[in-house]
Amino acid sequence: MTTLTHLQRLEAESIQIMREVVAETENPVMLYSVGKDSAVMLHLARKAFAPSPPPFPLLHVDTRWKFRAMYEFRDRMAEEAGMDLLVHINPEGIEKDINPFTHGSAIHTDVMKTEGLKQAMDKYGFDAAFGGARRDEEKSRAKERVFSFRTAQHRWDPKNQRPELWKLYNTRKHHRESIRVFPLSNWTELDIWQYIYLQEIPIVPLYYSAERPVVERDGALIMVDDERMPLEPGEVPMMRKVRFRTLGCYPLTGAIESEADTLPDIIQEMLLTRTSERQGRVIDHDSAASMEKKKQEGYF
Amino acid sequence: MSAKHLSPETVSERRLEAVRLRLDGVTVAETARRTGLSAPTVSAAWKAFREGGWDAVPIRPRGRPAGQAHRLGETQQRLLWQRLTHWPDTDEPGWSSRALAQALTDAETGDASPRAIEHWLVAQDLKPSPMALDDLVRRRTREGRWFRQQVQPALEGQGVVAHWLGGVRVAQPATSSEKDSRRYQLYLHGKRGALYSRCFTAPPRADDYLTLFERLASRGPMALIFHGAYFRASPEVQDWLVDRSDFSLITVPPNITLRAASARG
Repeated sequence: MTTLTHLQRLEAESIQIMREVVAETENPVMLYSVGKDSAVMLHLARKAFAPSPPPFPLLHVDTRWKFRAMYEFRDRMAEEAGMDLLVHINPEGIEKDINPFTHGSAIHTDVMKTEGLKQAMDKYGFDAAFGGARRDEEKSRAKERVFSFRTAQHRWDPKNQRPELWKLYNTRKHHRESIRVFPLSNWTELDIWQYIYLQEIPIVPLYYSAERPVVERDGALIMVDDERMPLEPGEVPMMRKVRFRTLGCYPLTGAIESEADTLPDIIQEMLLTRTSERQGRVIDHDSAASMEKKKQEGYF
Repeated sequence: MSAKHLSPETVSERRLEAVRLRLDGVTVAETARRTGLSAPTVSAAWKAFREGGWDAVPIRPRGRPAGQAHRLGETQQRLLWQRLTHWPDTDEPGWSSRALAQALTDAETGDASPRAIEHWLVAQDLKPSPMALDDLVRRRTREGRWFRQQVQPALEGQGVVAHWLGGVRVAQPATSSEKDSRRYQLYLHGKRGALYSRCFTAPPRADDYLTLFERLASRGPMALIFHGAYFRASPEVQDWLVDRSDFSLITVPPNITLRAASARG
């Protein structure tokens, strides 16, 4: 009997979860944030339903503040996968010109991401949404189930979660309730990188080290991705060799100094690191238990 | 094969092996062939063994024992840092090792040679190697094209009397604590790779760059090839450059590899 490697076991588990969702729900969608986890999730979805394209669209809840390289990559990947790409931007956020600088990371995230996601779920009537969250990213994500149920108002109750014994998933839900499904829950950041390497999955070039213009903000290296980034009077960005372990809105995503410009180098760097990739995300440190509060309010 | 470039440890092992072979009755010539040592070395090892036993066979460590070299004292180092974080009183574009040595002498904290200062700069990660531009003109690479299209016309421009290579970087000495170790260094390489530095505890601001440019521009028409700053985002620098037709600032594009020349004094 052939023994599966740990990556093959994780892959099989994720594919089983995706097929289960398609079988049990009426209108699923895959949340596509353009990061490496989304890249792996999309790759798994294509494998799960090959030779057909996956039977659900991609949904990108855009904030207008992603890195330029992410937008280019998003459009290319959706076209390659042959899937519909739905892009939703909170119209209220556009109207009020919500941005991370004048409104702060908390309001920006709430309006553009949390509210934006809820609007998109309601607008298209999705009852299940795949997300690329992993348990090793953050504390509140660690305790969230693979099938995470949300009320009709999209709220998450961490004290009322269903058991998932022997990988049996209970998908019954009331009318207008929805499920956030995390097929990569049991993967680690290292698993993701090894899988990307082994399967040669394309990822946004920002993950590779290169010289980029950065400024320092509260100890974090923030990339000056376009002219909208407000600089202090007299400030001159420095060109430093950096890469990103995680990607979000560029003013809220810290880079790390690194020489890793190939996948083997990134994996080697991963083996030595002792911190979560999300330490670079400003939104995770807004307040105590920040992520759990956001998730209760409907954040992905 | 010559054993001239072998490490002391390897030579010692081979000398011990040579003695063992000689004890087994192998000739000097044959021992030399088998161990890769010269015949006189085999003889010397054999003689050392006969006179002092096994302990006398390995070679003694060469050079001055580690840690015995002259080191700059705490006061001197503090003074150097203090000087490096201010512009020199002269019109030099930064601190050279010679000027730093003179500053120590003037402050009567004890003399140090420019060479001792350079060793200290290396230990503090403050001695970047100059960019190598010499052979770029013929290279059919991105670097070569950049040189031919951007650098060469500027260097051959109207009346340019000199060009400097420079940049800004973060120095991180291996020995200091994380908090103390982060220093931002503005550096320049002038004639024959002579290094000029100015250090900061925070990233340099437009005023700092402009002070540097002013000091260089006061020497006549000038071309500066600079790496490590994103001047396009700085209106102050852009405005200054508009009025300076005698100053060419050529920024090195990101991710261009300019093989560093070996560091020279």
